[in-house]
Amino acid sequence: MNRFIVSIMGAGALAVLGGCGGVSEVTKERVARSETAVQQAQQAVGNSEAGAIELQRAKEQLDAARNELRKENPVYAERFASQAQLTAELALAKTQSAQARKAADELLASIETLRQEAARGSSAPQTTTTTTTP
Amino acid sequence: MKPVNRVLIGAAVMAALSACSSTPERIETLETARAIVPQVESSPRAGVAAQNVSEARKALNTANRLVDSGGKLADIEFESSIATLNAQIANEKILTAQANEEIQKGTAERQAVLIQSREREAQRFATEAEARAAEAERRAQEAREATLRAQTLEQELADLKAKKTERGLVLTLGDVLFDTGKATLKPGAYPTIERLASALKEVPARKVLIEGHTDSVGADEYNQRLSEARAQSVQSALLERGVMSNQISSLGKGESTPIASNDDAGGRQQNRRVEMIFQEDPARVASDAD
Repeated sequence: MNRFIVSIMGAGALAVLGGCGGVSEVTKERVARSETAVQQAQQAVGNSEAGAIELQRAKEQLDAARNELRKENPVYAERFASQAQLTAELALAKTQSAQARKAADELLASIETLRQEAARGSSAPQTTTTTTTP
Repeated sequence: MKPVNRVLIGAAVMAALSACSSTPERIETLETARAIVPQVESSPRAGVAAQNVSEARKALNTANRLVDSGGKLADIEFESSIATLNAQIANEKILTAQANEEIQKGTAERQAVLIQSREREAQRFATEAEARAAEAERRAQEAREATLRAQTLEQELADLKAKKTERGLVLTLGDVLFDTGKATLKPGAYPTIERLASALKEVPARKVLIEGHTDSVGADEYNQRLSEARAQSVQSALLERGVMSNQISSLGKGESTPIASNDDAGGRQQNRRVEMIFQEDPARVASDAD
């Protein structure tokens, strides 16, 4: 702790935070929020490939934030928490965009199939689902 | 993006970095942020991730200011990472919006293709139905014409005062249509023959029996021959006008079947006759039972 304070002595605001003699509720709250974000991302990503790497990184950042919290380094705790939060959001966004892309590709493929069937004329239109890799 | 935590290994490193106030020539995380933030800002769909785009810009501006003011590398890298993450999130949201637009358009397009193919199908059915209706109409027209033709004969026979008997409709041609003692038809008989011929040609299924009759004056044998000859004359006249031979048969009955008394001139005149017996139209017997 002392070493930390020494290293950032120049920055007044940070000195105030560090000088509180413990980690503030704000910081704890910040870490807790990023925990929630990581959990949400975990649920959304599930076993899908898209977002898996980001989810893993978010977990590592969350661990780092908790670690800094234990070491009573509020600045680093908050920074890691912010990164964990955003990385979890990125994991979620990647999963969602991959799902949307897959749905769009399948739809376009089914339209193409319909067109071909219509062009052939006789056979009744069928809905076909093609599997596309995300 | 390079993980920030790799840089922030420990306080010792931090201290070393902060001790050195000058920043390195090139900070990888910052360069990444500088490249990606303007990209999402310039996207026409940036609006779907306005919050992330603005957070990204804010963090990048902070990072740039830190560079200009000789700020610490850790701070620069942190702000850069925040800028990059926000820009990446914005990018994914933009891609999602793009895919959703395609889905929306595709759904409408799919609907249109489905409707189009259904319409084509319906058109094909309609064309077939039209053809069937036309065929049905053609048959109905044929049936009407057949009925009309049948009615034509019935009408002619009615006009010519044919009598309904149990043998069929009987039309009597009086002896005024023949020269006395001869079998040749007088021209006065032609209009009647013409009308009957054309009506008979319309209904090839109808059969007609032609019978010649005489009064009791003269020898039986003579009367028999005369009656046969007159019946044949009428038959020939009809055949000449195109009536099928299998529709007509003729025979002479001589004086055997008088319809009136042979005692007076009036009765004898009635007895000298050619009868044309039209069998009932097989199709009409049931309904014409009156």
